[in-house]
Amino acid sequence: MKFLRQLTAVVLAVAVIVGLGMLWAHLSGGTGTGALRRAPSQEVLQRIKQIRAGVIRVHPDGGFSLADTGNLIRTCVIEAALAAVVITVSAVWRRHRRSRRASARA
Amino acid sequence: MNAGPTSSLADPPVTGNRRRILARTRLDFWLDALLLVAYTLAYSLGFTGIAAHEWLGIGLGVVLLVHITLHWDWVIRTTRKLLRPGGRERFIWLVNLLLLVSMTLCIASGILISEVALPQLGITLPASFFWRQMHDTTATLTLILVPIHAALRWRWIVGVARRFAAWRPGRSR
Repeated sequence: MKFLRQLTAVVLAVAVIVGLGMLWAHLSGGTGTGALRRAPSQEVLQRIKQIRAGVIRVHPDGGFSLADTGNLIRTCVIEAALAAVVITVSAVWRRHRRSRRASARA
Repeated sequence: MNAGPTSSLADPPVTGNRRRILARTRLDFWLDALLLVAYTLAYSLGFTGIAAHEWLGIGLGVVLLVHITLHWDWVIRTTRKLLRPGGRERFIWLVNLLLLVSMTLCIASGILISEVALPQLGITLPASFFWRQMHDTTATLTLILVPIHAALRWRWIVGVARRFAAWRPGRSR
């Protein structure tokens, strides 16, 4: 019962975020249908170029491409690097706080 | 947070309440691990292909609802304590809020620009540049926030993983 109540609260929170996103899209005129209203950004053009050049492969069949593990490895490396930075900062901060407390006690 | 194996032969008998807590910890750990793996796969579009990317994203959205529901008590508790001094929990709360917003918009925009999953269900939506750009931006944001979100709880992760590593069948933990 409690789970259902909390799930309802979460769904409501998510609905509010989506609703605000829709409002943003509406206000910025981005909900237009069919043709694009603005020229694609540099980032999008770059991605299309990469797809065409075969750097990023997109398979319409939906199967995992074991040959293209580079893409997966790149994601893992970015995640691991960011996590390592946060863990290091957190450990240093914790040690600093502990030594400060110890010196305050002494 | 428990950072190491605690049980020994001299451990007190496992009570119903303790068993519930341990089962909950196990559920949290494996659900979080599943979410991280699914997210990593879903982000790697070149590896998964468009159909797997879209279905993984939709599945991720459903599991995320469960994940947030399981931690809703923490959300309420920390939100109430926001005005009190103490930076760490407040920082975690802010990261989690940003992640909730960006992940929600990423999945919602992904559904709205779906090229395979939605048409397979017989739903076709008009192309929208706004949602495509929103998907790109929020995906990049989540790639930054997801590892930060996980790393901020690294002591809990290491603690639970150590417990699991020391676990032997037949010994209640």
